[in-house]
Amino acid sequence: MKKKLIAVLLVASMAASLVACGNKNSGSASNGSADSAPAEATAVNTDTTTLRINLASEPDYLDPALNSSVDGACLAVNSFVGLYTYDENNDCVPAIADGEPEVSEDGLTYTIKLKETKWSNGDALTANDFVYSWNRAVDEKTAADYAYMFAPIATNSDGTLKIEATDDYTLKVELNAPCAYFYDLLAFPTFMPVFQADVEKADPDGTQPGAWAQEPGFVSNGAFTLKEWKHNESMVYEKNPNYYRADEVKLEKLEFMLSADDTAIYAAYNSGDIDFADTVPNDEIQSLLNSPEFHVIDTLGTYYVGFNVNSDLFKGLTADQACKMRKALSLLIDRQYIVDTVGQTGQVPADTFIPDGMADGNGGIFEADDFGYYDATTTGAGNVEEAKGLLEECGYSFESDGNGGYKISPALEVTYMTNSGTGHEAIAQCIQQDWGIVGIDVKIETEDWNVFLEDRKAGKFDIAREGWIADFNDPINMLEMWLSTGGNNDMQLGKDTSNSSAPSWKEYDEHIQKIYATTDFAERVKLMREAEDMLMETSAVVPIYFYNDIYLQKTNVDGIYTSKNQNKYFMFAEKTAE
Amino acid sequence: MAKYIAKRILLAIVSIWIITMITFFAMNAIPGGPFNKEKATDPKVIQELEARYNLDKPLGTQYVLYMNNLLHGDWGVSLKTGRPIWQDMTAKFSVSAKLGGRAAIIAIIIGIILGAIAALTRNKLPDRLIIFFTTLGTAMPSFVLATLLLLVFCLKLGWFQVYSASDPNYTLPVIALAVYPMAYITRLTKTSMLDALNQDYVRTARAKGVSKIKVIFLHALRNALIPVITYVGPMVAYILTGSMVVENIFTIGGLGSTFVTSITNRDYTTIMAVTIFLAILMVVANLLTDIVYKFVDPRIKLD
Repeated sequence: MKKKLIAVLLVASMAASLVACGNKNSGSASNGSADSAPAEATAVNTDTTTLRINLASEPDYLDPALNSSVDGACLAVNSFVGLYTYDENNDCVPAIADGEPEVSEDGLTYTIKLKETKWSNGDALTANDFVYSWNRAVDEKTAADYAYMFAPIATNSDGTLKIEATDDYTLKVELNAPCAYFYDLLAFPTFMPVFQADVEKADPDGTQPGAWAQEPGFVSNGAFTLKEWKHNESMVYEKNPNYYRADEVKLEKLEFMLSADDTAIYAAYNSGDIDFADTVPNDEIQSLLNSPEFHVIDTLGTYYVGFNVNSDLFKGLTADQACKMRKALSLLIDRQYIVDTVGQTGQVPADTFIPDGMADGNGGIFEADDFGYYDATTTGAGNVEEAKGLLEECGYSFESDGNGGYKISPALEVTYMTNSGTGHEAIAQCIQQDWGIVGIDVKIETEDWNVFLEDRKAGKFDIAREGWIADFNDPINMLEMWLSTGGNNDMQLGKDTSNSSAPSWKEYDEHIQKIYATTDFAERVKLMREAEDMLMETSAVVPIYFYNDIYLQKTNVDGIYTSKNQNKYFMFAEKTAE
Repeated sequence: MAKYIAKRILLAIVSIWIITMITFFAMNAIPGGPFNKEKATDPKVIQELEARYNLDKPLGTQYVLYMNNLLHGDWGVSLKTGRPIWQDMTAKFSVSAKLGGRAAIIAIIIGIILGAIAALTRNKLPDRLIIFFTTLGTAMPSFVLATLLLLVFCLKLGWFQVYSASDPNYTLPVIALAVYPMAYITRLTKTSMLDALNQDYVRTARAKGVSKIKVIFLHALRNALIPVITYVGPMVAYILTGSMVVENIFTIGGLGSTFVTSITNRDYTTIMAVTIFLAILMVVANLLTDIVYKFVDPRIKLD
């Protein structure tokens, strides 16, 4: 165990000293075999009043309106609370809202009664606080990344939202169209209230909107308030006695270790200095799989490979041929192998773009168990003949190379772009091997995270690794991103209408508008299914696996739960001495 | 001396100005940007942020505006977090300096003592042991040393906590920071001490009956320290500004990791501020080194 730990710490230290970005749980390149013996229990600390946690390094913003990171959202849900929240069963339930809202017959007006709750300083939290906070979030001067989440709410001519505090504890909200996921939005951090006096005092001229929450002591309304912040070291939150469910909060303090260094985090966890670690060294996963401290939970997200439909790779092909070429490449990827050897934590090979378990906005689950665009567990070498056939339709021919593989003619060289990170590079190498069977030469190009994001957005690539964790539990979040005007449409669908090898995308854009406008939620499910069909038909988006979320938690800790968009709720956790 | 110092300060200002120019235009030339995120930001938001931080203006104008603000004492705010840079940087520097200062003092004192001992016991056991450990110290990367310290003293022996919000562990990071410069100073002191011990003035002093202790400390060591001072000046400036690796492993919020992260994030204002700050420290360290030369060796003329 000790030798292994030394090795892990050294390797992790080396890796951590190179600044790596991207999704922390995307997998690893470990070749370690599964260890069937349960892992040794690690040391625990017996301070039952304080939960010590590592989520990530220093958050950029604690202002819930300005936050756009998952770890920042975790801090937000533990120190602020909105009208709705998620419970331990992952149900979206009223929080500050006093029971279910009254909804008009046309589904456009919500009258939300508020519980009589208080800010951490004892002031009353009223409907006007929500009016202020939401309008502040959509104000261009605030420059909130997630301002677009308010799009379902109707706006006035001056750009403010059509929301009104009809009395201190009643909020009236008007929507543009019925919104199937409105309650999920109400649980989203951007919709949480902020204390107007704090905000305005810290930023009198409106140039630094997040200034009020940059140091401890600011007013909030959640379970904990920030008392101490040593930048890049630690944050200490204390229980807020004015929290509306304070009597259910057993912990007195939350302490956050602000680190993204695998070595430090894993060592701190093993020594009992922290109780919860959201980062697990990739090379340790195999040995932890049987540990009661290792947790794997489903999450709403898809790891996928994206093709730039405007790439020169498809030059001279018709749109139909280009789709066939991409489909052939998709069929050749051995997803099960990637999941088993790189992912390692039981990810499900993806046969759709919308992840398993996502709600359909009509009381059901969007992807039925038996639904899939292909059998994701058998893609790979078994599909070589079908893939060859599709590529032949694109003008390629094959001859045996004498080693069980093929030579392709004319030669086909493609560039696969990824960011640094062992998991991403390992997946690239798997794909390189899979496509190599039919003679395709894959060049892997690894870029710095910041440059990678820029190049992907600008369409400066042929093929790139991609991933998307849903912001809220509705398929529209993963379908509207492909609008031809969408900022996340890295695959460039519909961005160059003059390109004859790219799929025509006007119909898709119109389809999404229909989804926005429909008042019939059953019809909406059907329209979303058709939209996903259209997307998958292009094969520009090649799902690999559905994300899951892993973390380490001591056995003397209970009651922590996670929403499907990876927000972690610590407020009802309990610690025992053993 | 005063004339010399004034001349050096003038040259330092020119050097720092050139550094600001090179850094400003180089960081803007590299691909990427401060507002790049995995989930796309609304172009209106980007526009607002660029206008807020003058990034919508031509590069030359941006530079002039930045320098104008800087000369008025305004270091700006981080493009990533919106926090005032001066406040952030000084807080982090105080942490790095606390660690680095201790490490530098340990490295200098122990390094000189060990170097002198090694020189005086040349080819004997103490010398061989010292050379063995200093070779190890200079060869071992700081991330390996820091990790080993963490493993042995935190996990195996349990003498220190890996992480504590209330009582951070500074002993191990100080050791991790001190080992390399200490080993280097030891080797440097030994070499120059051996050289000094073979000089005529040492032999003359001994022949005149001056005690061995006096010869070593008043004559040989003093002269042997000149190359050490040359190294120590920039080393202190470097060590005071922190080490990303050591800070990350021991979860210390110093300036070293901030500098590296700011480059990764393309946080232009932070990159500029930290670079200028480091440049000033380096220039001051070099100037002080030159002045110390004068005191150690009066033969040196600074004018």
